Amino acid sequence: MFGYIWQYVYTFYLRYWLKWLIRQVTGTCELQRICSGYKAGALRTAKAEYSLQSSKNKVLRGALEAKKSNLEQCVDQIMKEKNVKLQKDPLFKGNLQICLLQITGYRSLYVSVEDLRKEPFSSENPEHETMLLKLWDLLMPSVKLESRVTKQWGDIGFQGDDPKTDFRGMGLLGLINLVFFSENYTKEARQALSHANHPKLGYSYAIVGINLTEMAYSLLKSGALKPHFYNTVQGPPELRHFHQLYCFLAYEFDKFWVAEEPESIMHFNQYREKFHDSVKAHLQEPDVDLTLAVSSH
Amino acid sequence: MGLMTILKKMKQKEREVRLLMLGLDNAGKTTILKKFNGEDVSTISPTLGFNIKTLEHRGFKLNIWDVGGQKSLRSYWRNYFESTDGLVWVVDSADRLRLDDCKQELRTLLLEERLAGATLLVFTNKQDLPGALSKEAIREALALDEIKTHHWCVIGCSAITGENLLAGVDWLVDDIAARIFTKD
Repeated sequence: MFGYIWQYVYTFYLRYWLKWLIRQVTGTCELQRICSGYKAGALRTAKAEYSLQSSKNKVLRGALEAKKSNLEQCVDQIMKEKNVKLQKDPLFKGNLQICLLQITGYRSLYVSVEDLRKEPFSSENPEHETMLLKLWDLLMPSVKLESRVTKQWGDIGFQGDDPKTDFRGMGLLGLINLVFFSENYTKEARQALSHANHPKLGYSYAIVGINLTEMAYSLLKSGALKPHFYNTVQGPPELRHFHQLYCFLAYEFDKFWVAEEPESIMHFNQYREKFHDSVKAHLQEPDVDLTLAVSSH
Repeated sequence: MGLMTILKKMKQKEREVRLLMLGLDNAGKTTILKKFNGEDVSTISPTLGFNIKTLEHRGFKLNIWDVGGQKSLRSYWRNYFESTDGLVWVVDSADRLRLDDCKQELRTLLLEERLAGATLLVFTNKQDLPGALSKEAIREALALDEIKTHHWCVIGCSAITGENLLAGVDWLVDDIAARIFTKD
């Protein structure tokens, strides 16, 4: 209870006056101190984000909603509001702009990812069908698919004769992730598939992949991926960066599963949770970088 | 239901009911469970293994087991039979091609000794879909009227809209309660 009151008093009164006091003493505003005091990456961008969010100034808060094309203008306005002179702090403008690109980019990335997720897989859409067949060819180059609806789909870990029902809540996003991993990390994807087809330690490759898409999606939605993207993308993160993160999860989960030697696939959720917890723990580290360590080809 | 089990249940202050939810893959088992529990159902992915949820409902503690339905998982279903009070069989009413498969799987389950005392609720799910078969059509296709070994009921529902989920669970719980809990 006391903690809540303190937090309230601090955010609404003390923080303001404290900032004012430091400003008088050092002659710099909070954003300047953040941009010069922390190295580029998650720490700096997260602090800048918090500072802008809790600002009483409309221009500063508005910058968080700005479009990419308006960002430079926004930075100019902020500098004017905060009376920051370019000559005195020449790096500030560029640094703040990168922070803002990352912050607003994360939000638009979520919108793009959500659009793909909401698009259901449709057998009537030739593009979707092509993508699905491409997944087969990438993973099973030496085996020909006998027909579009066939038990063979089970060999790459779909549930039944027709994968279309397996995408469910993850829609097209699930398929795009699977194809991206197989296309850009073909060797790793095939290796994971061979682990998945192990008679005892196996798992259903494709639907585990769709479950991992769900994991990546919910991490993105909750904001948990911010530190990763702030550290690894010096600008707005894009869809391919999200797919890259999926590749990291798919590769690492396979390694984790093989190392853990679960009794059977029936324990999947328990191991999924364990893996999820370790990913979340990594994301708490300020220097987190969830980039797949093998080179893409 | 053995005598010991009945005595055990009577002793428990909290009236616990164990429900097992089965059906072919993509029938909507997880969606039913989540919708019934008031959770978001838009981001579900296929179930590997199982989910379990404990909910309070009308003074009962419901332990609901939702086990994945894909073919390779069905051999594991038997690991979840023990002390099941109610079996919820979920059918995708729009999946006409696999109705036979669905009928066979249900028939095999009903021969299981460890499920002999369980009440059966058949949820004909996805009634909101335009191509869905009616509850009556599925009752016929699955030959439900031939079932003499279990108390059963068939209810049309939609996990997406939530239609009839409550009605189904209420019927199931009432039937189980009438069988195993004595009035205090």
